[in-house]
Amino acid sequence: MRGRAIAGTLVAAVTAFAVLAALSGRTAAESPFGDPNAEPAPFNPQMAALMSMLIQPRHAKLGLAGSAENWPLAAYMLKELRQGFAVVSKAVPRWKGLPVPDLVDAAVSQPLTLLDFAIKLRYRRQFDEAYAGLTSGCNACHATTDHAFVVIKVPDASAFPNQEFAPKQ
Amino acid sequence: MNSAVRRGWRMAGAVLAMSCAVSLAAWAGGSGFGDDDDNGEEEGPSYFGFVRDTNGTTVPDAKVTVAVKNRGGIVTRTDLLGTYKVPGFGKEVDPKDVEVSCDKPGYKQLRVVRRSTPSTDPKIPIETECTLQRI
Repeated sequence: MRGRAIAGTLVAAVTAFAVLAALSGRTAAESPFGDPNAEPAPFNPQMAALMSMLIQPRHAKLGLAGSAENWPLAAYMLKELRQGFAVVSKAVPRWKGLPVPDLVDAAVSQPLTLLDFAIKLRYRRQFDEAYAGLTSGCNACHATTDHAFVVIKVPDASAFPNQEFAPKQ
Repeated sequence: MNSAVRRGWRMAGAVLAMSCAVSLAAWAGGSGFGDDDDNGEEEGPSYFGFVRDTNGTTVPDAKVTVAVKNRGGIVTRTDLLGTYKVPGFGKEVDPKDVEVSCDKPGYKQLRVVRRSTPSTDPKIPIETECTLQRI
């Protein structure tokens, strides 16, 4: 009986010690997501976040503007998309060791140039072909970087219910 | 000391030993397992590059041979983007002994240029660009 009591007390003490030791790196004020009293850290989004913020929505808006033949908006979105690629290439010049500016150049430079011509000519068929080329370039780059499961397509609906894509009358 | 007391001390000792092992691992910053895919210790750098034509346009589906001097090599093909990737050879292989060549029907190899990178990060592949000329 006395032996069990000693063992029970020791087990409880040792367990408490182990839990405290495991948590010793974390202060009382800190959550798993960080310390609320820390200085704000610089925002440094990496490739996946940059793609979701700067590239994918602009690719979609460009496609929606082109299919609505809203050429001023298409021109604007093309410029935004180009700038997005430039920002990504500067922010993450190498990703998993691979040279991002070179991959972006190989994947999208030519279709972006063709899109520029199509928009200036207001030529829907050339726009569609170049936009398909751009979309293929995105997917080719995803394949090169072992992300072939991220499949980009020509948008078949708008994800922006608060934006009009038809040309302003 | 009766047998119940002795059994209690033995149990407590075992729990203490196990708990100390767990705590030490936690203090060390983890349980001691590394990344499954991190085999950089065993391998040399990987090899990567573009195959382009004389206009600078990338060439998909070109045959690329990455060969170690006097030891044979690996044959691969460029993807849709005109790039090839070959994983690292063993650490005993000096990258200077690795040669890249490219080939495609209707083309001949014009030049092979190895790019130098200032970084010594082993995760950065050795980049070699191969240029093909139409014949």
